Amino acid sequence: MKILEKIAVPVVAFSLLIGTALLAQAENVKIGNIEPMSGPSASLGQQGKAAREMAVEEINAAGGIKSLGGMKLELIYADSESKPEKGVAEAERLINTEKVHILSGCWNSAVTYPTTAVAERYGIPFVVPVSVADKITEQGFKTVFRIAAKDSWWTRDQFAFLKDMETEFNSPIKKVAFVYENGDWGTGFATQWKELAKKAGYEVVLDEPYPSTSTDLSPVVQKIKRARPDVLMLVSNAADAILLTNTIAEYNVKLKAIIGSGGGHADPSFLKATGKNATQIFDIVEWETDVNKPGAKEANEKYKAKFGQNFSGEAVDAYLAMYVIKDALERSASLEPAKIIEALRATDLSSGPGMIVGYDKVAFDQTGQNKHAALVIVQVNDVGKGLERITVWPKTARRAGYTPVFPMDVK
Amino acid sequence: MLYILEDAINGILMGSIYGLAALGLTLIFGVLKVINFAHGSLLMVSMYVAYWTITLSGLHPYVALVIVVPIMFVFGYFLQDIVIKPIFKAEKNVREPITVIIVTTGVWYILDNLTLLIFGPQYRTLQDNPLRGKMLEIGEFMLSVPKLWGFGAAVLTTLAVYLFLQKTDTGRAIRATSLDREAASLMGINAYKIYNLAFGIGTATAGVAAVTLVPFNNVFPTVGVLFDIKCFIIVVLGGLGSIGGALLGGIIIGLIESIAPQFMAATWAEAIVYGLFLLVLFVKPAGLFGVKNDW
Repeated sequence: MKILEKIAVPVVAFSLLIGTALLAQAENVKIGNIEPMSGPSASLGQQGKAAREMAVEEINAAGGIKSLGGMKLELIYADSESKPEKGVAEAERLINTEKVHILSGCWNSAVTYPTTAVAERYGIPFVVPVSVADKITEQGFKTVFRIAAKDSWWTRDQFAFLKDMETEFNSPIKKVAFVYENGDWGTGFATQWKELAKKAGYEVVLDEPYPSTSTDLSPVVQKIKRARPDVLMLVSNAADAILLTNTIAEYNVKLKAIIGSGGGHADPSFLKATGKNATQIFDIVEWETDVNKPGAKEANEKYKAKFGQNFSGEAVDAYLAMYVIKDALERSASLEPAKIIEALRATDLSSGPGMIVGYDKVAFDQTGQNKHAALVIVQVNDVGKGLERITVWPKTARRAGYTPVFPMDVK
Repeated sequence: MLYILEDAINGILMGSIYGLAALGLTLIFGVLKVINFAHGSLLMVSMYVAYWTITLSGLHPYVALVIVVPIMFVFGYFLQDIVIKPIFKAEKNVREPITVIIVTTGVWYILDNLTLLIFGPQYRTLQDNPLRGKMLEIGEFMLSVPKLWGFGAAVLTTLAVYLFLQKTDTGRAIRATSLDREAASLMGINAYKIYNLAFGIGTATAGVAAVTLVPFNNVFPTVGVLFDIKCFIIVVLGGLGSIGGALLGGIIIGLIESIAPQFMAATWAEAIVYGLFLLVLFVKPAGLFGVKNDW
């Protein structure tokens, strides 16, 4: 034993020494990712991780960052547990100990908000794929770049979509009804809707917050029916979205369009539980697997084969974030944070493997918000393969060969 | 005016179903003197049993009663016998067995989470059955057919339970136990058996309520919670332990829920329900139809 120890110790020590020396030589671009890897949002953190890995694998396999001599991207993860204080601490650690060049994350807006402040203090670029709270890019920071559309753009795009439908189908909208769950989420949407309706010149004939825990929504549906709106806009959780959809069909409420706001309308069990009652309902989402963009289908297939589920909006944004970073690094040709930030600010990305989102371009405004970001609007319909969500808006992302049904013509 | 009538009828129909859902709670309280916090979960389990029975057999929902009610009776009977009775025995000298309340809370969590584990968080609705989505249309006037059926079931079940308690020997024994456990025991009534029976019947009525609900409502693991609070309010409103009070309390809640939203936001209608609940507690703690009792 003694002899073995005498040999083993120096051998191990020596190999460790060589190992670290080798590692130090081949420097990578280190991207620190703060994501909820455990806790209530863990599955979203895992999706973000999977999408990043897929993108980085592709980028490295294609020769890394050419302007930096083929330097590879390296992903370092930290778990935020969805807790703001944990995110802040991890950002400090990633910057000071891991010496990351770029930060990315954190999915939960509540975590991203304080964490971007750490990056700002150190002058490290922070690419936010998908935390949607408006305030994240409204802090006057120079280092924050957000790719996804912000919160208030969901309602903006719902109204932009309505205007486009009016024009495309030459069918004017006059009266709108707002029916929404009475929590923070629903009332927040409704406040913005009222502003937008005023600007668009629509008359609001019903403004109805309801408790999501309702066991009977027929009184609300009766109100909708009696208000006779052209368009019904909804913010609902799952159980109430199903109940509303079925009750609206039962009471045979005639509408030109019903527009959901994700949430319950995007719940995986929504279509199954409503069946044909959901036909021709519109819903707004970050992304849909059928967006008509080059490479979207292939990327989704690859992701599905690797991780067993379809791309989610969050995952697509994380995937694109890696390509945005790659694009900036190619142009900065330097690992100096200020140079990377400058390059990010000059981003003008409209093609390449990452551009499988619904909108056409990534370019940041003064606040660091991607000014071209937009949501996707889908219509639930059956085109021969059962009910599915079909992308209809923006028009450039519309599924080939599909014409949206507007006004609705189901009984 | 026609609108109000339409809403009132919908309120009475829906409210009677709420009352039916609360019937088991009031019965169990009347006999065991224990608030059964697992009542919503028992309703939820019943809804799953009803959902699967109807889906797998393809029967008319109300034919499924023949299967759902016995299953739920046995479920309730043995839940009381195996899980709750030992606690009762351990606390038999305590006038108000608080521990039992805690145990029912435990049962609630276990049932909800077991269901989540087994069936997942999905929302389910009955597809293609004779009642789903059926409406009775008389001109502009629309009534939900499954709710009409539910109203019938609620009235008949309440009547049946009332008559059972009034007219049969077992019913008398249950009432005797609920009035005075000690005295009933001296008369040769096995109180624990009566408890099992009351729990079984209470759960079976939840089974009937579930059958009335599944044709037009969602089935998911936490659906019981939505009805739980409503049932508590109804039972207090109608009078703890009062069988007819449950039905009437339910109808009052249903009417408020259906008519109030036509004059204000639906959120406020809910506030009125809770406001009324507090008011009744202040003014008439025994409930609108309850008897003053030494509980």
